[in-house]
Amino acid sequence: MLKKNNIGWLFVLISIVGISLFYFYPMIDAFLLSFQSGMGANLEYTGLNNWMRLFDDPTFISALTNTFTYLIVQVPVMIILALVFSVMLNDPTLKFRGFFRTAIFLPAVTSLVAYSVIFKYMFSGNGIVNQFLINLSIVSEPINFLTDSFWARIVIILAITWRWTGYNMIFYLSALQNIDHSIYEAARIDGASTFQQFTKITVPMLKPIILFTTITSTIGTLQLFDEVVNITGGGPGNATITISQYIYNLSFEYTPNFGYAATVSYVIVILVVILSAIQFKVAGDKE
Amino acid sequence: MKKVVFMMLTIIVMVALVACGDRDEESVDDQEASDETEGATNDEGEAITAWAWDPNFNIRALELADQAYDGEVDLELEIIENAQDDIVQRLNTSLSSGTTQGMPNIVLIEDYRAQSFLQAYPDAFYPLTDYIDVDAFADYKIETTSLDGEQYGLPFDTGVAGLYIRTDYLEEAGYSVDDVQDITWAEYIQIGVDIKEATGNNMLTQDPSDLGLIRMMIQSAGSWYFEEDGSTPNLANNPALEASVQAYRELMEANIVSMVSDWSQFVGAFNDGDVASVPTGNWITPSITAEETQSGNWAVVPFPKLEVDGATNVTNLGGSSWYVLNSDGKEAAATFLANTFGSNEMFYQDLINEIGAIGTYLPGMQGEAFEEGHEFFDGQSIVADFSEWTEAIPAVNYGMHTYAIDDILAVELQNYLNDKELTDVLEDAQSQAETQLR
Repeated sequence: MLKKNNIGWLFVLISIVGISLFYFYPMIDAFLLSFQSGMGANLEYTGLNNWMRLFDDPTFISALTNTFTYLIVQVPVMIILALVFSVMLNDPTLKFRGFFRTAIFLPAVTSLVAYSVIFKYMFSGNGIVNQFLINLSIVSEPINFLTDSFWARIVIILAITWRWTGYNMIFYLSALQNIDHSIYEAARIDGASTFQQFTKITVPMLKPIILFTTITSTIGTLQLFDEVVNITGGGPGNATITISQYIYNLSFEYTPNFGYAATVSYVIVILVVILSAIQFKVAGDKE
Repeated sequence: MKKVVFMMLTIIVMVALVACGDRDEESVDDQEASDETEGATNDEGEAITAWAWDPNFNIRALELADQAYDGEVDLELEIIENAQDDIVQRLNTSLSSGTTQGMPNIVLIEDYRAQSFLQAYPDAFYPLTDYIDVDAFADYKIETTSLDGEQYGLPFDTGVAGLYIRTDYLEEAGYSVDDVQDITWAEYIQIGVDIKEATGNNMLTQDPSDLGLIRMMIQSAGSWYFEEDGSTPNLANNPALEASVQAYRELMEANIVSMVSDWSQFVGAFNDGDVASVPTGNWITPSITAEETQSGNWAVVPFPKLEVDGATNVTNLGGSSWYVLNSDGKEAAATFLANTFGSNEMFYQDLINEIGAIGTYLPGMQGEAFEEGHEFFDGQSIVADFSEWTEAIPAVNYGMHTYAIDDILAVELQNYLNDKELTDVLEDAQSQAETQLR
């Protein structure tokens, strides 16, 4: 019996060692790093200084507000869009379903940098969007989409919504396959309208998946980097900068301060934990 | 049986994956390692590696240097092209972990970042003080490439700036090239307004995230973001910065600025003839001359001047220098640099003729190549003008936080354009800088 157990442990050991070495060790090390400060290789422990610094660092605060703006505006819009699309595409009477599914999912397989660059060109001063608006006489002067702080945020939100809606839609589509048709049938016999079916059957049945996609989208938004760096570079004047980009700037753009960068990274960790806990509390099952 | 086959397949796949991973990661090391052994065994000379960016400029300069090298020690130079961002990243990650493995012997670093590397990684760079004659280089380059009396960088290209201007647009608005020589920013704006009225074109482009223009303005008045020590922020009560920020706002309010958000839009704007002037570093010349249809329609005049004490019509934007890492092969690398960029006057003629690169080695900055007129600029010998200005660039200590201040100031500049008080703008920037740069 004991021998059998040992062999079992042996198998597990590989992954334990691997995970400890490549996950836990860096995590602990980064945590220790977050209490150090200094330029480049000259790091020294400074206690809670880095953590205090967060509170009066305007760049960090604008990175945080921007990230939350994206989160609050973009995630609900995307989740609702994905839900609507998936229900529409799940309708067996719809023609060319396969084509529409592919078309909406396609953005999710394009490279982040490639699509960001295309968005940047579309929304540039003489880009296709401005030409379109001018030719339709909706505006007379090109809109500075990328150099105006309000419009730059809108472009970022548009871009990530375009990129990730299809991805979330796939989860809903597959979950919809698992909902028994007889439930809808019973509802119809009881005289439920389509909208009622959607809110009273589809949404509750999809709840675990909605929770899952909300959490992954939240985490994804907190780590947003590629789009912002490539479309606006964080500008104009930090109006679109995200926490991840600030971490990058602290490590590689400015004179490197890896200690403070680690502190900011831990803020993301803490935020993810808190937000996920809230989402579980609000939407999750009791157990 | 099936199980055994499955197991074997799994193992094969795993081994293959591991092998692939290894190869990808270590290809650079392998290359270098094999080169090093080659150098040691073959007697072909010591192998040194160099990293730089921009194949048409820095890499070409290295190739020319390799050809020009005539030192006693045989050297094998391997040139590796990397994007500047990648070089910065790789230097930071390697040097902060305290290793020089996989690092080159020679590396190109932008002057604005030089102090940051020199101070953040003491002992990572090899001093070149004994290899070159410091006095032979332009003052302002030495200021940024040395630390505590030791010379670490070998100054390379000058970022001396000028005002590139469309002569045909000037004429349409009733001006001549003489009218734009040694002007002030106020005059520049007035001319810009007139040109816009006459031709409908804006005067210049600006990227709100890139404060290059402000940096050029303050350096032209001998000032910088920092005090002379390179670390005390000098933003509030800095008359040069105050005047620059005001000039910037006047430019914006005169409605003569095309907004761009990246390099290609910037280049596209003047290549398409959308803007009448480009105030920037001389390294833009190849991009200007790339649009052949505009040949003869451009001139280069001195950079506009601020109206403050100590203001001049010369300034600098960008430019970079060569550094030797403190690892095996440093002597060979230093010798190579000293023999070429550090002393060879003829080599500097080649740099001009072949790639139009203007160096900062003063003895190398004369001769035929410098006097020759440039057809594109209607016969103006722009190289001679630029090298004359190079010697007069006010020396400032760029310090180690140029880009951090840039980002702080970019935010405050937007606030200023939205009617925040100027003194508040600069004081807020100052206090942010003080809390951030510790």
